Amino acid sequence: MAQITDKTREEVKEVVLDFFAEECEMEIDEISEDSSIIGDLDGDSLMFLELIEIFKKRFNLNIELKIIGKFAVKNPVQTVGELIDMQLLIIEHENNILNL
Amino acid sequence: MNTAFIFPAFIADYTEKEVDFLVRNGIDINVYIKNVSGVLELDLPLFSYNSIEYKQDELLSQIIAYLFACAISDALRSQSIKPDFVSGYSMGIYAALYAAKSVTIEDGANLIVNAFKIVEEVTKTGEYGMAAVIGLSVDDIVQLISANKLDAEIININNKHSIVIAGVKKHIKLFLILAQKEGAMSVSELTVNTPYHSKYLMNYSKKFENFVQSVDINKAEIPIISTYNQRLCISSEDIKLDLVHNLTEKIHWHKTMQKLIELDASCFYECGAGKDLTKIARFIDGDYKIKSIYKL
Repeated sequence: MAQITDKTREEVKEVVLDFFAEECEMEIDEISEDSSIIGDLDGDSLMFLELIEIFKKRFNLNIELKIIGKFAVKNPVQTVGELIDMQLLIIEHENNILNL
Repeated sequence: MNTAFIFPAFIADYTEKEVDFLVRNGIDINVYIKNVSGVLELDLPLFSYNSIEYKQDELLSQIIAYLFACAISDALRSQSIKPDFVSGYSMGIYAALYAAKSVTIEDGANLIVNAFKIVEEVTKTGEYGMAAVIGLSVDDIVQLISANKLDAEIININNKHSIVIAGVKKHIKLFLILAQKEGAMSVSELTVNTPYHSKYLMNYSKKFENFVQSVDINKAEIPIISTYNQRLCISSEDIKLDLVHNLTEKIHWHKTMQKLIELDASCFYECGAGKDLTKIARFIDGDYKIKSIYKL
């Protein structure tokens, strides 16, 4: 289990905002934690998967996509802030996320 | 460095920049609609982003996707952007043929209408459907279908995380529930009643082949990459065979993109409304860029 610090949260937030800014061709300051992933950013599940892969490499995570999928179905995210929180949970708990 | 034009099958969502793009290039989509209306003897409505007919009717949705694809290809060519290769995703094959100068715009539309009519008795039953699954592997899906004795099959692999299935509609619906339980990141039933690229259309293969033989299909000026076997189709005979395969056999978009990348295609233009192929390319590795017209 990884320890989540303020620094980790900042790092995850930066990666997520950079990702959406590039994908959506927007300025980072146009995206906030309240931005709706679907409504404001035209996000989709493939984007979500790509973010998971980015964090998987960055934090050397041992995760199975199917486990994340099961967790995401029970805990759907709608905003960028919620997505950041979910990524932090994935980093912290990896394949144990379903036990939360 | 080569350029490829790729053509989508349907339009999931308009970016609502398509008409502006065409107008800037001196093209009116409604002129294309009127031209094929006369030839097909179909009363095609004029286009607007709110046109319900083009969203709800399976045949009309294919025709409008085709006409946008042809118009966008024409617009790119008017900017002196020419492809070295073309390929059409599913029913996007007809626009690929047009872009390769293998068929006229009218003959391409005629092929769409006749393919649709030939399999219409299957469509009309309302018993078949298709679905997209994101986040499960091929093995997971095969196992789910087999373990639950579902009358369905994988008919296309978009990329390593996105797979399309076709089958008996009630089994497709059950599959979607099971897939989510298994851990699929998302599942969606496609708004079609025709199980394209599947064994359920095999009985119509000969009939469509006979029709295809009657159509004036020329040697392609630009190689067409088959989504069925990834071969380069240039001769009229190869193209005709590929048209039949495209309707009734499984396709593999991931391999098709890989083939194009192997052929040194590094600049792709998504010639169609929306940005579905750009989205699908997310998990197709390679050193390339896809340009959607909404960004041009």
